[in-house]
Amino acid sequence: MKRCYHVVAIPIRIVLNNFGDYNPNGMMYVLKENEHKVRELVKKHPFTPVDLVQPLVIRANEGDEVEILFENQLPFATGMNFQEADYDVQTSDGANVGVNENTLVDCGEQTLYQINAYHQGVYFFSDLGNPASSDQGSNINGLFGALFVQARGSSWTDPIKGGCIESGMYADIHHPFLPSFREYAWIFHDEMPTVDLTGNKPLDPVTNQERESTHAINYRYEPLENRKKLIDEGVVCPDCDGEEVHHDSWVFGDPASPILRGYVGDPATIRIVHGGVKETHAFHYHVHQWFDDPTNQDSEIFDAQAISPQTWYDIKPFYGLGSLQGAIGDAIVHCHLYPHFAVGMWGINRIFDTLQDGNQCYPNGVSIDALQPLPDRPRPPSPTKERPGFPNFIPGKVGCKAPRPPLGIVGGRGLTELEKNAAVRNPRPGAVFADPCAVADAPVVKEFNISVIQLPLIYNRQGWNDPKGRIFVKDEDIEDVCAGRKEPEPLIIHMTAGTCIRINFTNRLPHVADGDVFQLVTRTYEVGMHIHFVKFDVLVNDGANVGWNYDSSVLPGETIRYEYFADVELKAWFFHDHLFANYHQQHGMFGSGVVHPRFAKLLDSCSGEEVDSGTQVTATQPLIPDYRDLTLMVHDFAFLYDKDGCPLNPPKFPSSPDDPGLFGVNYKCEPLQFRLNTPECDPAYSFSSFVNGDPVTPILHCYKGDSLRIRLLQGAQEESHSFNIHGLRWKSERPDVESRFDSQQHIVISESYTFETYAKNSGDYLWTFETEEDLWNGLWGLIRAYDEEVNFLIPLPDQVAPPKRTQPLPECTGSPPAPPSVIESAAPPNAPLKRFEIVAFQIPILYSNFGERDPFGIVFALEEDMNDILKGRKDPEPLIIRANVGDEVEVHLTSFLNFNQFPYLDGIWPYPPVKEQAFYPPSVRISLHPQLIDYDVKTSSGETVGFNPDQTAGPNETVTYRWYVDTPVGTCGMWDMTDIRNHRSLGTYGAFIAEPRGTEYYDPYTLEPVNSGAQVILVNPLLPVTREFVLIMYDGARLVDKAKQLIVDPVDGILLLNEIDPDLVDTYDNGSRGFNYRTERLINRYTKRAVLKDLFSSNVHGDPSTPLLEAYKGDPITIRLLNPSERRRAHGFHIHSHYWNSDDTDLTSQVRSFSPEIVTGFTADLRIHYGAGSFYNLSGDYMYRSGNIRWDLEQGMWGIMRVYDALQAHLPPLEK
Amino acid sequence: MGSKRNRLQEDRLFKELKSLMGKDVLIITESDQLNLFGQTFRPIFCGRLVEVYHGHIQLFPVIIKMVNAPFFEFPTPLCIPIEKIAQFTMDFDCETPFPLT
Amino acid sequence: MPNNDGYYVKAPTINDIHDQTLIKYFEDWVGRKVIILVSSFPFVFIGVIAEVIDDFVVVDVETTSISQLEDREWFIHIHDIEVFYIDEGEGPRIPDLKDGD
Repeated sequence: MKRCYHVVAIPIRIVLNNFGDYNPNGMMYVLKENEHKVRELVKKHPFTPVDLVQPLVIRANEGDEVEILFENQLPFATGMNFQEADYDVQTSDGANVGVNENTLVDCGEQTLYQINAYHQGVYFFSDLGNPASSDQGSNINGLFGALFVQARGSSWTDPIKGGCIESGMYADIHHPFLPSFREYAWIFHDEMPTVDLTGNKPLDPVTNQERESTHAINYRYEPLENRKKLIDEGVVCPDCDGEEVHHDSWVFGDPASPILRGYVGDPATIRIVHGGVKETHAFHYHVHQWFDDPTNQDSEIFDAQAISPQTWYDIKPFYGLGSLQGAIGDAIVHCHLYPHFAVGMWGINRIFDTLQDGNQCYPNGVSIDALQPLPDRPRPPSPTKERPGFPNFIPGKVGCKAPRPPLGIVGGRGLTELEKNAAVRNPRPGAVFADPCAVADAPVVKEFNISVIQLPLIYNRQGWNDPKGRIFVKDEDIEDVCAGRKEPEPLIIHMTAGTCIRINFTNRLPHVADGDVFQLVTRTYEVGMHIHFVKFDVLVNDGANVGWNYDSSVLPGETIRYEYFADVELKAWFFHDHLFANYHQQHGMFGSGVVHPRFAKLLDSCSGEEVDSGTQVTATQPLIPDYRDLTLMVHDFAFLYDKDGCPLNPPKFPSSPDDPGLFGVNYKCEPLQFRLNTPECDPAYSFSSFVNGDPVTPILHCYKGDSLRIRLLQGAQEESHSFNIHGLRWKSERPDVESRFDSQQHIVISESYTFETYAKNSGDYLWTFETEEDLWNGLWGLIRAYDEEVNFLIPLPDQVAPPKRTQPLPECTGSPPAPPSVIESAAPPNAPLKRFEIVAFQIPILYSNFGERDPFGIVFALEEDMNDILKGRKDPEPLIIRANVGDEVEVHLTSFLNFNQFPYLDGIWPYPPVKEQAFYPPSVRISLHPQLIDYDVKTSSGETVGFNPDQTAGPNETVTYRWYVDTPVGTCGMWDMTDIRNHRSLGTYGAFIAEPRGTEYYDPYTLEPVNSGAQVILVNPLLPVTREFVLIMYDGARLVDKAKQLIVDPVDGILLLNEIDPDLVDTYDNGSRGFNYRTERLINRYTKRAVLKDLFSSNVHGDPSTPLLEAYKGDPITIRLLNPSERRRAHGFHIHSHYWNSDDTDLTSQVRSFSPEIVTGFTADLRIHYGAGSFYNLSGDYMYRSGNIRWDLEQGMWGIMRVYDALQAHLPPLEK
Repeated sequence: MGSKRNRLQEDRLFKELKSLMGKDVLIITESDQLNLFGQTFRPIFCGRLVEVYHGHIQLFPVIIKMVNAPFFEFPTPLCIPIEKIAQFTMDFDCETPFPLT
Repeated sequence: MPNNDGYYVKAPTINDIHDQTLIKYFEDWVGRKVIILVSSFPFVFIGVIAEVIDDFVVVDVETTSISQLEDREWFIHIHDIEVFYIDEGEGPRIPDLKDGD
């Protein structure tokens, strides 16, 4: 069916909240029929939010053709570029790319876009006419929206009035064969230029400095700072401080940010869309869980999930609103990055238990909009005086803090009459209005006594410390921890599935937290234990203070009783404080509960005694393999001092959210600056325990052959991290054996992952948070697999006991280890052998046609190409090698590095920068570490780690690695591990591709067989002849311009930048970026010709310097995408009008046109559906690009896939 | 001998099911997941047994236990081939909430 | 005839009976509207039963998950059907699924 919409892009003043914060230069898409109305309403209400000012959401069904008559009222050429859709790039790209027709629209003009929707989901649309990341850009000011594509045969109605709707963020969706559901648009966006009512930049009332930049949802946000002013001015809640009540509707009424309304049990879909320009946010939704991939019933269960710019996913909460336990009340929905949360990036899912017909009011007298019951659900009961329904049975007082819950606090109150009427049959502490443990008959009950305490935490042997650590601890351990007899670590409690968990939680913190260089004095007088994953009564047991709920926290000295139910074997659930998390979470206030399989027993890994807590335990279960359960909790914003009391990376002013402090993992860090203990101070041995001793960070102990469950969580506070294990891999969706193998995982705060793997070989495996700044500051450690018995580790009961120890354990000698005497191969004896003679040498690399170059480049290359590259006969490009499944790969790597050819010989690398700069001189050694394929870490991991032998090569030395391609893992990153500071920015990375058995590789232009290169034709007797394009998305490069001046990206590349804010960028935003040692920075094009709409046009500027991917229409295409470089800012990746399965090994996985959260170690194999030109096999130029408007696109992270319909002399066709 | 035993078996399951007519049963079929216009779900059905044939049974009303809508009542009766049934249990209260993941 | 374990299995087996009576049921309702769910692509068929050939039901398909695959006869292996419902004229009707409702 054809659906038609008339959309206009207009300038509009966007008022973001009821305090009048606004963007005077907002831009939005709106349906033509609403254009006049919205302009009039905004004129009449200049300082209050206008409902019609919202991101445009329109709808269609799968299979529909959607025709958009697009009209531009903005003063520059603009368009609508649709993701996910099929369309003709010559008419409907909404962009001006390559040699395509320009499909942008000048001011006052119109055009017709025609797109087809062939799969369900979110078809995000945004402008590409003005890609500036600055305040003058279009996306940052709101020019984005979404087409929601529903199941075929769906219809939609207005949730308030009923009846059809043409557009809008909320709808009820109906289908003859499927449950009706509530559909909520949740469109994150960030960095929108905002001023307050007075027209000035908003200030933080505590610091009197400018507050955090805008982080909003659906053009709304509710900053803590605004609400706090009402407290400070005595308008509300005079005894309150601020953060503990800033989600409290009893104090402030409801927020301006989204309130997603439904009845308990209603099926729902929250369509999470990232329309913003920069940050990777962390979506978290209290009480509920969902599948990572809603199209795959075997995918992992999430309750917090990262999202990077211009990507999306659907949240379909299990069991409908209120989850399995039928919890009623306010479930907060928020970005878990704490500075974003504080500045207002949150809303509420309000779950009613009584009918809302429009005649009811909230306790503050504000009327409640009607809410149509879903037609296929039982009608909720009407409210009565005795049973008024949520929130009107709660004995709160408007203007004051929410009341404490009945029954929960030891020595507290009982139930009022109205509460009794609303309560479950058997109300008890923590389970008053929902009874999660009643899901099971007489479940196992497990009780924990947990307190929060303050104590100093020592992070490393150099004495870095947090004098005001704040941690969760079991009551029985308090004395030992405080006396130094037990090392403080994040509290990890263990239980089995089907357990009813009871917590007696005591607040032992001081009433007031002292001020210091990091933070101002804060009255952190309340604390709660908010839990993820498990089932609970949100009204009384959230460990939070949200909406019209109770305040389920406690005062100092008080104890509150919580109750939860662990319904199935989940994984690790995150817990933390929800009252003053902005003050003390980064001091260590986080922990986790691990739900093990039923009937599992948890043992102390040293003594074998039964335990119920600990970061490293041994689990036994009669029917499944016993395993080591190992938890790592990473955090940033760690407020550390050195041993002399000097603060490390302090903020410019106390309580600044601008990336203060450093990092920790399980409250420890092992900075590389302290690991230069060879006479030459060679960074190549930084990870060697022979040279520097073992790190103080966790060493996860196991025996060779042990099953491992590694629980990865992030406890604080704002930043992305990239976890990698070198030499191990796991299934990306743990419950789904068909999912791909991974050895890397992007993580943000509150996310939780379980990696199931096993230690195939003995030796030391390196685990890292691999981005440069993380690794530099000590986020790494080891998994140590012993080959012989040790007296501090019980064997797994179901494994063959390890042999008695014959060799003493290795010790630190202060000297680098010798290379391995024998390099065992993991391959079977008859495996075909592929040898690669690889060299590493220094050579200037030309990055663009504008003369941007890296004069100090280091490349890996095949030895046979070295001479040609040095003589300028061959361009340097990242080394990409291939072998087939079943092959053994032997690599001989030789270093030709010369110390004098490094940019910073004094050992201080200033740009791109890292926090906590220190001496670390360039290494002339080199190594090559591969991901995912099989090898013995003791010989062939391409790094010198722990007590493993040396695996690096010095100048003119050659090191040998033996790898085995045991399974089709596709793209594997390869990179140097000798010197992450002085090498990676210069290009020391490449890729290894594991191809199917029997595949041959040919140059796409000469058709000659090749054994390296980014673009090849794959020929396999049983598979389609395929064009393979390898795209290495890199960041953190150090380039100079034609005049040899250092390019300081991203700032030097920002378009339309009026003023430079010195705090604009974080350390990890720095450096140049692009694909495969190439970049196409838009600033160069703009300088040449200052016309925004022509920036991507090859007709005007010629083709970009980045790889041109050429194919004929319909050619099968696989894109191998990876990021082996270094910066912590996550990127997205998108190709216009093409899409693929999110997991290439699993056809049931979500189909989408992007890859999200790309950071160091990321790999993906994109098998493009329907081949070049997508479904219709249309020729044209298709842009591939980052989704980050700020700061990737204008800094050169884009290129063109050119699809021809006629034979080209230079490009032989694929032989069918 | 063999055929007599077969007949007995056939009679027994058929009779067993017949005796359950009008009662609620919980039935799981053999596929990993089904897909109804993009909504995927495990094939877990709970409903009233209204017809019993030698080759299939019919449930109505019938709930498909979708994890995002665990009490979704399908608009028509559903017939399930006996040979596709992986397992079932009798006299199951379809209102019972239970974990589905 | 005895198999390797010495058991006698005679046709028709209990499975044959289940399968055969299911075929018969489809044959009885030729001309009626049916909804069929299968675990393999394209997952759902709605249409009128045209005929039954051996153990295949031929359905004149009006609706499936993909519009390009509609308005044609599909031969569906009866024994791959996971669940189905045939509108016999007395029970609930199979809803019409129209684009753009």
